[in-house]
Amino acid sequence: MIELEQLRYVRLGTRDLRGASEFATGVLGLQHVRTEADRAYFRSDYRDHTLCYVLTDSDYASFALDVRTAEVLKRAQQALSDFGLKPRFGTDEECADRRVKAFIAFEDRTGNSVEIVLRPLMSGWRYFPSRDTGVRGLLSVALRSKSRDDERLWTSVFNGRISDWVGDACYIRMDRLHHRLSLHPSSQAGLLGVAFEVESIDQVMQAKYFLKSSQIRIKHGPGRQPTSGQMFITFDGPDGMLFSFVTGMSTIADDQTHLPRQFPDVASSYCAWGSEVAIPELAGAESLRDN
Amino acid sequence: MIELRDIRYCRLGTRDLSAAEWFATTILGLEVAERTKRALYFKSDSRDHTLCYFEGEPEDQTTAFEVAASEDLDAAATALEAAGSPAARGTAEDSELRRVRDFLSFSDPSGNKIELVLRPAHSARHYHGTRDAGVTGFSHVGLFSTNAARDEVFWTTVFNARVSDRLGDAPLMRINPVHHTIAILPGRKAGIHHINHQVASTDDVQRSNALLRERQIPVVFGPGRHPASSAQFLYFTGPDEVTYEYSVGVRNVDDEPIYRERQLEASARGACQWGAQPVVKLI
Repeated sequence: MIELEQLRYVRLGTRDLRGASEFATGVLGLQHVRTEADRAYFRSDYRDHTLCYVLTDSDYASFALDVRTAEVLKRAQQALSDFGLKPRFGTDEECADRRVKAFIAFEDRTGNSVEIVLRPLMSGWRYFPSRDTGVRGLLSVALRSKSRDDERLWTSVFNGRISDWVGDACYIRMDRLHHRLSLHPSSQAGLLGVAFEVESIDQVMQAKYFLKSSQIRIKHGPGRQPTSGQMFITFDGPDGMLFSFVTGMSTIADDQTHLPRQFPDVASSYCAWGSEVAIPELAGAESLRDN
Repeated sequence: MIELRDIRYCRLGTRDLSAAEWFATTILGLEVAERTKRALYFKSDSRDHTLCYFEGEPEDQTTAFEVAASEDLDAAATALEAAGSPAARGTAEDSELRRVRDFLSFSDPSGNKIELVLRPAHSARHYHGTRDAGVTGFSHVGLFSTNAARDEVFWTTVFNARVSDRLGDAPLMRINPVHHTIAILPGRKAGIHHINHQVASTDDVQRSNALLRERQIPVVFGPGRHPASSAQFLYFTGPDEVTYEYSVGVRNVDDEPIYRERQLEASARGACQWGAQPVVKLI
């Protein structure tokens, strides 16, 4: 069992680095850290960066979790190989690009790209947002999944625990928070969305009116997840990526006594407020079949 | 100084009782407490009723406040006479219609019809809403005023109203620890600006927002949060163009001696800290 520590960063491909950067600061309110030729890095908390835009194909998307020691990283490589995946260690150049000491990259059965990193860089400086969106940090990512094996990957190779299911979609926790990762059955591969935690409901609702006036499409919410209890608003980002501002996720205090709940595969399992949803993966089985 | 203890009910005339009933139950979530030939009484909490629709003209709107003792009614009659708003004692028959022991009726300087009621009927029966709107009770009223500064003086000198905050010249006034029970809002003529019911949670405000939009009930402001009272709100239109509000999280003024009213701007920004824009001129 490989112990994962934290969700560290997401790396997203874009064909328009300047446009994506403007979104990251102007809409998400993140702090611009640096731009290097074909890369732009953004902070959302105490870490060096949690979002990196890479000038490349817009299908490119990856995210990273860290392990504590080089020994665990080595074990992870073995465990992933045993699981039938093809992990590889990153080159020195790739490590420098990610501000990590070492990492392995692999694709899950679906083809989602994941990185397991060692000693990612933090910043000693206070996070100073570009805009007062109340962002407190990178909270979770949602992945599309074409294979039931993906759930097994996170819960048997890694220390992920199922918190709840909606149909066959699952919410996976790695610490006390209800989830850091969610897997959503889909016909495609790829990162579905990236969620940043904000201070309170005020920032979620302010985002609603800000996004509307900025003519940025809201795809889901404002709403509240019946599973995690978090309030959310999910909107379009550059290159087809979804971003969410969320607040109020519940915690699971006792791993031993928590029994994952099975919610029906319907839209109301994704929003208790009855908000409209324009994301096929979150609209329930009926909608997915129509697609 | 006459002490108003709490707000009690609104009585609204309507030419279409069945439309009013549909709205009050199916949409607002209230419960029919009693049905008479010419009126419908609605429950929103443990009180006998807090809203009454009766056959009449939609302009005929009354708001009632509860006083503690019969002497208060006598004192109020004298004070109102002196303030230039003479009051009339209610008849036994009219008291019965209102489910109160006694009452006094008068108009504020703008012409809003007000009643002061004594020993209004309580109810031992639990309030069970028609839909799960989370309503916890009728809480406050906004009244149109033709001269907000004049009406503020009236409510704060004849009665125990205290200004909690102002939006422009519109005072939000309390008669107990709740931030406001009476809001005075500038308008061309007297009338009820809005009727507020409290709900139990943020979820109730947001779920109702989805339901109202689905039912094509005009949502005229919100969901939002008032910077003054910190309440999360949703305003929508009921029968005869009366605006209703759901809200949750209104602050209390617990320390009277050190509390100071604040001045907010009379704009969408002053009325909502989330960025909601009223679709009509609500403030």
